[in-house]
Amino acid sequence: MQKLYVHPLPVRIWHWTNALGFVMLILSGLQIRYSDAVQLMSFASAVQMHNVLGGVLILNYFVWLLFYLFTDKIRVYHPELNPAKHFRGSLRQLWYYGYGIFKGQPNPHHVSVYRKFNPLQSMTYQIVMILLVPIQFYTGVLLWDVNRFAASIQLFGGVRVVDTVHVVLFIFFIGFIFIHPYLASLGHTNLAHFKAMVTGYEEVEDEPGPKQPR
Amino acid sequence: MSKTFGKNDSVSLHVDGQAFAGSVHGPLGCAACHTEVDLANHPGAGKSFDSARAFSIAKAGVCSQCHEDKAKLFEGSVHAGVLRTGNLAAPVCTDCHGAHAVVRKAPVANDVACRKCHGAIFDAYLQSPHGKGYGKPGPVKAPICADCHRAHDVSPASSGTGLRDACLGCHTGAVEAHQKWLPNTKLHLQVVSCPACHAPTSQKSVDLRLYDPVAKRDVTAKDEQTRLDGPTVANGGKALDSKALWDLMRGVDRAGAPGRMTLVGRLEVRSGAEAHQLTDKSKAIRDCVVCHRKGADPFKNVTISIVGPDGRPIRYEAKQDVLHGPTSVESLSGFYAIGGTRIGILDVLLALVLLAGVSVPVAHLVLRRLLRKKQAAEQHAGSEGE
Repeated sequence: MQKLYVHPLPVRIWHWTNALGFVMLILSGLQIRYSDAVQLMSFASAVQMHNVLGGVLILNYFVWLLFYLFTDKIRVYHPELNPAKHFRGSLRQLWYYGYGIFKGQPNPHHVSVYRKFNPLQSMTYQIVMILLVPIQFYTGVLLWDVNRFAASIQLFGGVRVVDTVHVVLFIFFIGFIFIHPYLASLGHTNLAHFKAMVTGYEEVEDEPGPKQPR
Repeated sequence: MSKTFGKNDSVSLHVDGQAFAGSVHGPLGCAACHTEVDLANHPGAGKSFDSARAFSIAKAGVCSQCHEDKAKLFEGSVHAGVLRTGNLAAPVCTDCHGAHAVVRKAPVANDVACRKCHGAIFDAYLQSPHGKGYGKPGPVKAPICADCHRAHDVSPASSGTGLRDACLGCHTGAVEAHQKWLPNTKLHLQVVSCPACHAPTSQKSVDLRLYDPVAKRDVTAKDEQTRLDGPTVANGGKALDSKALWDLMRGVDRAGAPGRMTLVGRLEVRSGAEAHQLTDKSKAIRDCVVCHRKGADPFKNVTISIVGPDGRPIRYEAKQDVLHGPTSVESLSGFYAIGGTRIGILDVLLALVLLAGVSVPVAHLVLRRLLRKKQAAEQHAGSEGE
């Protein structure tokens, strides 16, 4: 096993702040939307918490954005420009999660400093970080002060449209918050990727070889 | 001596001379108002009227000769609108100011003219802090009808922002006081009528008013360019459901329409009397969950409205599902209350995602473990076989 430094400190700070913030945003969001069924806190506290956390995570997003914009690490997000190659890689990764992993086959993706994401992750994170998260922040800001942003809301199609987009993404992120940690537990040990996101160092096998099923 | 109209209707021709002399019109004399009287031929065959009330209303028209400004204001009022529809019960100048014993300001307090028609509302007002405080000394003068509804240009209580502005006109610190605890304060003050919270026991409803953003005004029953008339909104007497509302909005926003019509939602109290059952602010509703939850009372009663010929809204009943159906994203894009009007299908989507979010990892994990055991057993058996 060799150790590769794949998660620089700003990324780790962003990641864990984002993770904690998203969980709290989801909980306060559930309280706001389902106050007839959820009793975690008062509606007013949930709104306040949601607003503050939203602001914190928007600032945190810029930690991620500026880090990647101003370092060569942005290469980890560079898309695969050959569609055939990209989809072949994605299918191979899907096959691994859906079949190979049960047979003890090795993960087809090998982590390196500039290729820390497998093709599925690469596509997902590009969509999530460049499209979905900004849309969620944008709609959240509009709903935070409906009067101040009335013109933008009008442009968006109305407050119900803005809210529906915000809620659909909220539901997506709830799914994400379940699936993401599970996929993160599929490293060479259950906690390997979690440790890596704390220390910054990912443990990778020296030479790819058959992996023992777990 | 009296003037008769029809069989049983008459008006006394006696004028209390002293009262007239003491009135603000005393110095003017009779002829200033009764210009049509020709003394040589009096009593002549004047214009005939169907009723004493019609006669009184016609006679009151003379006031505009001198009081043009007030007459103009009155012409724009809901009372004038009601008169124009043929309802003679609506008040004219003399109903408040008197016919001969004319007073500069209409009498107020318990004998206020408004009470004649709006008795239940006035009784509710008397029980409110405004009614109880009226006429009493203090730093702030408690209002009576005309202070909020205005004296001449009386507007329909449920339209425009006049009444909210009237509240905020006296309660000048109200916006700041609400901002301390109420998120989106301006929006709340815009879409929730003051009595909805300050008359806490009132029954509430949602009124969705058709609005023309190009003309920047509410849609009226006369708007032919939108083919929007009563029967269209009335849906043949049936309450509109989400499909009917969607069809209605698609109809008014058809190709070639000047602009996209919208429905402007507003949370109101159901009756005028309840709107006046105001309480001390300490008893006002502050619990957000009263509205921001599924099944909240205010969203159980929904109406779609357009402005009628007399300026008052004509309301058509709608089903609750217009607030919750998936088509509301298009037909009701401008109105949404968190929790209270949430779209049901998104709740189903959330439940499915939660189910998948838990079951997919658990199933994957269990399958991995089972197959691992199986493979280990096979390997073990294989190694023993060797």
